[in-house]
Amino acid sequence: MGKMIDILCSGHAACPGCIDAVSARHVLAALGPDCVAVMPPSCMAVIAGPQPFSGLRIPVYQASLESAAASACGLRRALDVRGRTETQVVVLAGDGGTYDIGLQCLSSAAERNENILYVCFDNEGYMNTGAQKSSSTPRYAKTGSTPAGKPTRKKNFTEIMAAHRVPYAATATAGFLRDLVRKVEKAKSLRGTRVLTLLIPCLDGWGVPEDQGIAVARLAVQSGMFPLYEVEDGLRYTLNDPPKSRPVRDYLMSQGRYRNLGDAQLDELQREVDADWARLEQRAQASAVQ
Amino acid sequence: MSALPLPPTTWTTGNTDVFKTGTWRSALPVYRNPPSPCHLACPVSGGIAAWIRQAAVRDWHGAWTTLTENNPFPAVAGRVCHRPCESACNRGGYDAPISICRLERFIGDLALAEGWRHPEVPVTRKERIAVVGGGPSGLSAAYQLRRRGYAVTIFEAQPQLGGLLRDGIPSYRLPRSVLESEIRRILESGIEARTGAALATAQELERLRAEFDAVYLAMGARRQKRLPGLDYAQPWVMDGAAYLAQANAGAPPALGRRLAVIGGGSAAMDVARSARRAGHEVRVLSLEREAQMPAQREEVIEAKEEGVAFLEGAMLCAAAADGAGGLELDCVRVLFEAGARPGEFRVTPVAGSEFVLAADAVVPAIGQDPELAPVRSLLDAEDALIRTDSRQATSLEGVFAGGDVASRARFVTQAIGMGREAAQQIDRMLQGRAAARASAEPALPLEAINTYYFPHAGRARDARLGARERLRGYAEVQLGMATEQALAEAARCFSCGNCIFCDNCLDYCPELAVRRSDGAYAVDGDYCKGCGLCAEECPTGSIAMREELR
Amino acid sequence: MSPGNDAVLLTGNHAVAWGARLARPKVVPVYPITPQTPILELLTEFQAQGELEAEIITPESEHSVMAACIAASLGGVRVFTATASQGLMLMHELLHYASGARAPIVMANVNRTIASPWGFWPDQTDSVAQRDTGWIQFYVESAQEGLDTVLQAFRIAERVRLPVMINLDAFYVSHSLEPVRVPPQALADEYLPPYAPEHYLDPARGESWGNVVTQEMYWRHRRDIGGAMDAVPEVAAEADREWQRLSGRGWDLVERYRCEGADLVVLTMGSMCGTAREAVDELRDAGHAAGLLKVRLFRPLPAAELRRALAGVRDVLVLDRNFSPGAGGVLHQELRAALYGTAAAPRVHGALAGVGGVNVPPAKIAELAGRARSSEPLPEAVWAR
Ligand SMILES: Cc1cc2nc3c(=O)[nH]c(=O)nc-3n(C[C@H](O)[C@H](O)[C@H](O)COP(=O)(O)OP(=O)(O)OC[C@H]3O[C@@H](n4cnc5c(N)ncnc54)[C@H](O)[C@@H]3O)c2cc1C
Ligand SMILES: Cc1ncc(C[n+]2csc(CCOP(=O)(O)OP(=O)(O)O)c2C)c(N)n1
Ligand code: SF4
Ligand code: SF4
Ligand code: SF4
Ligand SMILES: [Mg+2]
Repeated sequence: MGKMIDILCSGHAACPGCIDAVSARHVLAALGPDCVAVMPPSCMAVIAGPQPFSGLRIPVYQASLESAAASACGLRRALDVRGRTETQVVVLAGDGGTYDIGLQCLSSAAERNENILYVCFDNEGYMNTGAQKSSSTPRYAKTGSTPAGKPTRKKNFTEIMAAHRVPYAATATAGFLRDLVRKVEKAKSLRGTRVLTLLIPCLDGWGVPEDQGIAVARLAVQSGMFPLYEVEDGLRYTLNDPPKSRPVRDYLMSQGRYRNLGDAQLDELQREVDADWARLEQRAQASAVQ
Repeated sequence: MSALPLPPTTWTTGNTDVFKTGTWRSALPVYRNPPSPCHLACPVSGGIAAWIRQAAVRDWHGAWTTLTENNPFPAVAGRVCHRPCESACNRGGYDAPISICRLERFIGDLALAEGWRHPEVPVTRKERIAVVGGGPSGLSAAYQLRRRGYAVTIFEAQPQLGGLLRDGIPSYRLPRSVLESEIRRILESGIEARTGAALATAQELERLRAEFDAVYLAMGARRQKRLPGLDYAQPWVMDGAAYLAQANAGAPPALGRRLAVIGGGSAAMDVARSARRAGHEVRVLSLEREAQMPAQREEVIEAKEEGVAFLEGAMLCAAAADGAGGLELDCVRVLFEAGARPGEFRVTPVAGSEFVLAADAVVPAIGQDPELAPVRSLLDAEDALIRTDSRQATSLEGVFAGGDVASRARFVTQAIGMGREAAQQIDRMLQGRAAARASAEPALPLEAINTYYFPHAGRARDARLGARERLRGYAEVQLGMATEQALAEAARCFSCGNCIFCDNCLDYCPELAVRRSDGAYAVDGDYCKGCGLCAEECPTGSIAMREELR
Repeated sequence: MSPGNDAVLLTGNHAVAWGARLARPKVVPVYPITPQTPILELLTEFQAQGELEAEIITPESEHSVMAACIAASLGGVRVFTATASQGLMLMHELLHYASGARAPIVMANVNRTIASPWGFWPDQTDSVAQRDTGWIQFYVESAQEGLDTVLQAFRIAERVRLPVMINLDAFYVSHSLEPVRVPPQALADEYLPPYAPEHYLDPARGESWGNVVTQEMYWRHRRDIGGAMDAVPEVAAEADREWQRLSGRGWDLVERYRCEGADLVVLTMGSMCGTAREAVDELRDAGHAAGLLKVRLFRPLPAAELRRALAGVRDVLVLDRNFSPGAGGVLHQELRAALYGTAAAPRVHGALAGVGGVNVPPAKIAELAGRARSSEPLPEAVWAR
């Protein structure tokens, strides 16, 4: 890194310390200038700038919340027709625009294996509208629409995409920047529907100090709450470093959204994470044998 | 006047960098280079973070060059230093301090093995400097002055240079080949050494002052302190320095089977351990409890491994022949309390704790004082030391002093550091430059380190020769590091306050406000929102947030 | 079958598909729905045969169809699609999005009842309900008109940078076989040059579309859309004239059928026009001065032309095959609004005729016309069948 050529611009409107901005910066730099972005409403779309100024040095199409993937397909085909088959079409969407309202069209794009790179900036809630829950919000996290904590689990989006047998589905986070950049580069080298989910600690929405976004992202991975892994062709699982090495407590306590969490709830979350991790490990092992 | 065209309502025409979001901020990061605690604790101000970093990236020669800017004795210091840097090391608060000393030895040994030489410096200055005493302090001063272009002459009373490195410290701790090599390398930088040339009188000092433009006095402290109530005329009493001088020269004196060594410092340990090698049964009597002993921990441990018995917190009151060819030592248990300054203490005998110890000879090794007679009439002394200011200047113009002769901090690296300081000051004096103001910047605290970047990792294990093997001769006890070990150890270093050019600050800035510019990083105030991520993700504490008032 | 100037038998749907093929769209996202499906099938068939060089996208919904249409159009290429009824309803949000994006998409909509309850019948409520979405709307009466209007629509859309919807009634137009003259490709090409937008999404251009605007920008943006709409009647008239010159067929924006000296004019859109023509013929035969005004361009409503056409007419009978609960017939309302305040405006009578596709025979229209002549108009439309 360091020597990268930035596509993201200074002067954008992200909150100080925003990990959306850090992540977008590296995703875009890794993709390079031959790229067109599609953005549904989300924090990212705010970062993209107020008319007539753009926060990105590549063209951006601001789509509607539920239609990012479908829009990307349209754009993809238009570029193809114009001979720009090597130009990347990248979707930069929030989790709300991905796990929820935009899942239908993404599923369809994935089923058609449209040649797009879909990057979900997963801050585990509708942050742009003031931090309400999404289906990506984890159990017991407090949001504006789940003030007592969300009673249900976080949807397993990567599994959903893997089940579409897309060529590449992976998780990553700016907390492990090299891994993230490697995955973007890998995704870039493939064709078809490629899906990256980036965990983005939202400072305001999660109750995290401005300088702690990266640290919290790392805890998420180290605690196993957000494992880093890749699935190729929906079947070959690879677990990436670092492995689960810390109790979920360490991660949860770093954020305001889990304040007042009881011991029983903590234990339950730990059990869930342990079970999920074991399942992932099994899949990774099974893939290694294949 | 034509109105500006209105901005189009859908297609963009420019980028957001027109917005100077720096106005949002209330704190600005500063790129800095605060001293590491090891550096501040190091008596030679050794730039430790910097050379360890060089070592970590296998720039061994660079590391040696950085090291020898401050200390021409890395292979010596890497063996005998009392390691205040390691006590201060930030990593100590995290898992275990960096094994700085052994790393230094590794680099020092590598330099010897590779035959690395100090750069040749021609004599560029007309002024000549005299150094009295060729121990570590004198050699250090001579080396530093030579590097600065001065012609230097060392006057040494003994036939050989080295001072206590040679006469005091036994070869199983400091192999002579290492000592000789480092001294030779210093001399090869073009220093004249006159051995067997003692400064004996005030007139001689005056003559030196007349002949030379500056004089550095580094005669050490070679006069043994004596135990009151012990008859040094008895054949069964031998002074520790004398014992060591003979033992180190390969001819340990023949005393009886059972030796009682008096003292708790390095000298006492060296006597005791040398005596074990000469086949004696050895018991050490020290006023201090083990934890209070001025000797280094390791010396005590190694002495015990070698079969030295300890009687801590005990005082010898009287010694007399027992009539059966042996001695009866009247002793008492004492409570030892250290004083405010080095060398000061108070002992309180414990009533009713008297006991008698049997022995064949007594070797007191309780410290030395400088021999001030030749200089006393010309310059101020205090507390049996030549009095100097903090820059090693004595009360006599053009005369400086350092090392054991001027300090109770009786350590090799202290002596080297004072020699370096004196050299710098002499240089400044001769060039008519004012002394640089000492930086008052405090050491970088552990809290400023982002320990995420430094996963827990054990300190390199100190390897020693087996005790039995040690007693067979004078083989070196402490073993050096292997290259892989050295690399792993160097990688443990937090590089406190010493930027490692990892680019984290640049990479993690959401505003793209950090730029790299000739070997440094700069923050663009137009865009920095003051989030603090760069400072937080700086592994080394090289960026700090400074509040801004607007 | 190859294009030429000989008439062939085509359904309205196939005629529309032929029109689309001749327009050479580059991206065609499409989703099936009765009774639009034959359009989709013929287009995919054309493509499979190598007769249509277009990217066909088959997403999971009409919503995604429209999303893809907009993005593809902003990607700088010509885009066509077709839908009906529920599909159009599902697109609603993005219909606004498309016009806001000034994307010159052309879409055929086969007018069909909207659920619930389910039905498959001709009814224009689906499209008239989209009248505020910023789409230009045509209603066609025949297969030939459908084909010609697709070509005209692209010419208009790309000139004013607004999307165009071509509406054809379910079955009555979409599935009726008629002789249709399919123009040669060269003629279509001459009429419709390749799409070359000023702005489009491309890394080489760098411009972005759709960032958040200020109130003032939004205001201007909407005003500009209004300006573009205002230009449509003239641009559409030119497009029709030019087509007439090249193909010999013109359709007008508002067609006057036997309106000379008429004191009563029937005004309607789409397939109802065919029935109305018969009714007018019957009335004329019976000595009544009756005429038909066919509203081909509904959005923007060519108000000036309607006013001109209705000058001196005593009674207008508006037939709405749509229903807006609480408001009545949309065309009825629109015409009243267009005529409001004009000197000697005709009396406007409204009839909800044919809602749900029910049959309205010529005799019924004649009967309604008779009633209109003899009674004061009511403010609301009356239900008729
Ligand atoms: C047995 C022993 C073990 C020690 N072990 C350690 C240890 O492990 N680690 C540690 O850090 N410190 C140790 N020390 C202390 C350390 O050796 C001294 O603090 C250090 O050597 C002081 O250096 P210096 O150059 O000031 O004096 P010295 O080393 O004493 O050198 C002084 C030199 O001046 C010469 N000289 C004296 N008078 C004159 C004169 N009038 N004219 C000319 N030349 C003269 C002497 O011959 C000598 O060569 C030990 C000390 C002893 C006694
Ligand atoms: C159809 C629709 N419904 C609701 C909204 C309001 N809205 C804008 S952004 C948003 C939440 C987006 O959440 P997410 O995708 O997670 O992005 P984030 O803001 O968290 O980055 C919502 C609900 C909208 N723009 N469109
Ligand atoms: S971690 Fe390294 S730089 Fe920091 S105090 Fe220890 S040795 Fe010095
Ligand atoms: S990371 Fe960037 S914005 Fe944040 S304080 Fe550092 S320079 Fe400023
Ligand atoms: S983050 Fe890395 S490059 Fe930046 S100041 Fe700290 S050590 Fe230096
Ligand atoms: Mg979100």
